[in-house]
Amino acid sequence: MAADPKMRFLVVDDFSTMRRIVRNLLKELGFTNVDEAEDGAIALQKLQAGGFEFVVTDWNMPNMDGLTLLQTIRATPTLKHLPVLMITAEAKKENIIAAAQAGASGYIVKPFTAGTLSEKLNKIFEKMGQA
Amino acid sequence: MTATNDSNDLEALFDSIAADFSPAPPKPAPVEPPKTRAIPEIGDSDDLQALFDSVSAEAQAVAPPGVAAAADAAASVAEEWPRQEVVFNRIGTMARTLHDTLGELGYDKLLEQTVSALPDAKDRLAYIANLTEQAACRVLNATDIANPLVDDIENGSKVLADRWDKLFANQLATEEFKQLAADTRTFLKEQLPQKTQATHAQLTEIMMAQDFQDLTGQVIKKIVSLAQTLESGLMSVLIELVPETKRTVEVTSLMNGPVINAEGRTDVVVNQEQVDDLLDSLGF
Repeated sequence: MAADPKMRFLVVDDFSTMRRIVRNLLKELGFTNVDEAEDGAIALQKLQAGGFEFVVTDWNMPNMDGLTLLQTIRATPTLKHLPVLMITAEAKKENIIAAAQAGASGYIVKPFTAGTLSEKLNKIFEKMGQA
Repeated sequence: MTATNDSNDLEALFDSIAADFSPAPPKPAPVEPPKTRAIPEIGDSDDLQALFDSVSAEAQAVAPPGVAAAADAAASVAEEWPRQEVVFNRIGTMARTLHDTLGELGYDKLLEQTVSALPDAKDRLAYIANLTEQAACRVLNATDIANPLVDDIENGSKVLADRWDKLFANQLATEEFKQLAADTRTFLKEQLPQKTQATHAQLTEIMMAQDFQDLTGQVIKKIVSLAQTLESGLMSVLIELVPETKRTVEVTSLMNGPVINAEGRTDVVVNQEQVDDLLDSLGF
């Protein structure tokens, strides 16, 4: 499945700098339809309002962390199909395993490159195409 | 060894440990050497030293895990109440010893310094957070300005190049060629230098945004040295006063932030490749 450039992304991170960087990288990759949320709780509100097709989230955030957000998305019938890519500084193996078990579509460890983001997105799009 | 023997052995061990506890407070007196009396100025300090010595000697006697475990087992065999009293007495003695030792070894000053240094360290860290955030914003703003300029140059060149291609394919009339030459001249003389200069200004802005490194570097060094002083001071207190068995408490959490030093650790990944390998190996 070729990725639709109009695909609507939600970028979740408590640091505005990181949200801007991810937003800019997505723009470079041709995705300009991007919204932001500063923690899992706000993200969930926005997601429940509908219209999003892809979630990129940090792990360690106040109010609701990224893993809880992921688990909540997977447990919500209207959201559970959403691809969720985690971009996080958490580099313990148990973190990666926990994220995978919770149903993360991809896991990128910070610091990361534009190339890595592009590669992981394409991999997720491929899987979505097969599904 | 039969169960009875076992119990008897434990009983004996308990008795010996209980005996070890009870003489604790009077101990310092006999330990005190006569020379203490000879030098009254430092008599108080020697008293405390003696008390400290006696208590740390006692702590060592209790510290080995085997003995501690045996003592626990013995406690379950022995009568509960006297044991509790012993424990309370001992905690009281330890609290007193900790207090005295801290004063004796100068840790009270250390703690005092710590209390005054921590708010300062907090301010310094806030300063670093502030400067790095400002720098990040300056850089991102600069790229936001520079990117469209570079895009304009690219698009402008492409449009002119296409027209030149047409010329070389003999698809342009003379008037069109004249117009192309004029447009190309304008592009090279005006648009291009103006946009590269503006881009250059943004590159300079990005460079200047790195000036935080010097300032944060200095502040971070101060905080690192404060942390080292604190760590070594607190470590010596812990090593002197906490039994060995209590020293390792592992904290397990899924929110640890970035790995600062991965050397010698097997529980963390150090790059994206390792993340991918791990996920592959698990079949995700």
